[in-house]
Amino acid sequence: MTLVRAALLAALAVLAVGLAWSARPQPLTDGERIDRIALELRCPVCQGLSVRDSPSDTARSMRALVAERVAEAKTDDEIRDEFRRSYGDWILLSPPVLSPSGLVWLVPLAAVVIGAWVAWGRARAPAPASARPPTDEQLRRLRELAASEPE
Amino acid sequence: MKRVARYTAVALILGLALVLTLAFRRDPHDIKTGTVGKPAPAFTLRSLTDGTSVSLDQYKGKIVVLNFWASWCIPCKEENPALTNVWERYRGTDVVLLGVVFQDSADAARTYTTRLGNTWTSAIDGDGQVALRYGVFGPPETYFIGADGIIAGRHIGPIDESTLLTGIDTLRKAARP
Repeated sequence: MTLVRAALLAALAVLAVGLAWSARPQPLTDGERIDRIALELRCPVCQGLSVRDSPSDTARSMRALVAERVAEAKTDDEIRDEFRRSYGDWILLSPPVLSPSGLVWLVPLAAVVIGAWVAWGRARAPAPASARPPTDEQLRRLRELAASEPE
Repeated sequence: MKRVARYTAVALILGLALVLTLAFRRDPHDIKTGTVGKPAPAFTLRSLTDGTSVSLDQYKGKIVVLNFWASWCIPCKEENPALTNVWERYRGTDVVLLGVVFQDSADAARTYTTRLGNTWTSAIDGDGQVALRYGVFGPPETYFIGADGIIAGRHIGPIDESTLLTGIDTLRKAARP
């Protein structure tokens, strides 16, 4: 039994190491980097399309510029910043958290916090008067009333 | 507790109203984000008419009205009379009107300028990189560049003569010592 348990543990350990190994960050090729950055950039002449997904000439020019900068060994942040300098944060499909447009990330969070706060307040509020058990004084008066009622 | 919830709701509604008021006050043609208030990106392009070099540097110290256009762009035709009037008015002065052809073939752009009788300099942005550096969304788009080389304003869409004159006058006043 101990041997079976040891074998099972060993198998689990091998599986865990294998999963961790396969999930390790892989170095991206230039093409993959261009694709990833193009996916984050908004096509300025399209409706909600990324540069990667748009067939427009503008998106093609932007993709060419990204490729040029990747070839120049610029970092992803440097490339994104170059577009932000020209178009502002709007050019990023997901606005950065630390910016005025990043407020959009806070709105759902604020809604959840306010909702939780209201729900907690409601839960802690005293039960309605009708649901409370009668006090001794109320019971005494009820008994008195009942006793005084004619049979 | 009820009072707190009520105040919170009122504060949220007031906040929303404030945000909407500020948003609706903005002129969608006057986008401040991006390159406005920053040095105009330098460029050297090929002239549409004779293929010679056209660079922003050669207009250093002058007020440059940089207009992105294309022959396929209908609003560009709408704004052409305003540009022609301004070009005639400031020709040979400290104000330069410079066109940049946006995503268009040189032949089509040349035919367009000949047909409309445009005589100001236009240059071809073949790979669209100049437009990207200026943050152009699409033609027509006009940038007002001061004598100090800073982009003072931009106009998205067809521009009228009054907007052009106001932009130029503001820059001329700012350039005077």
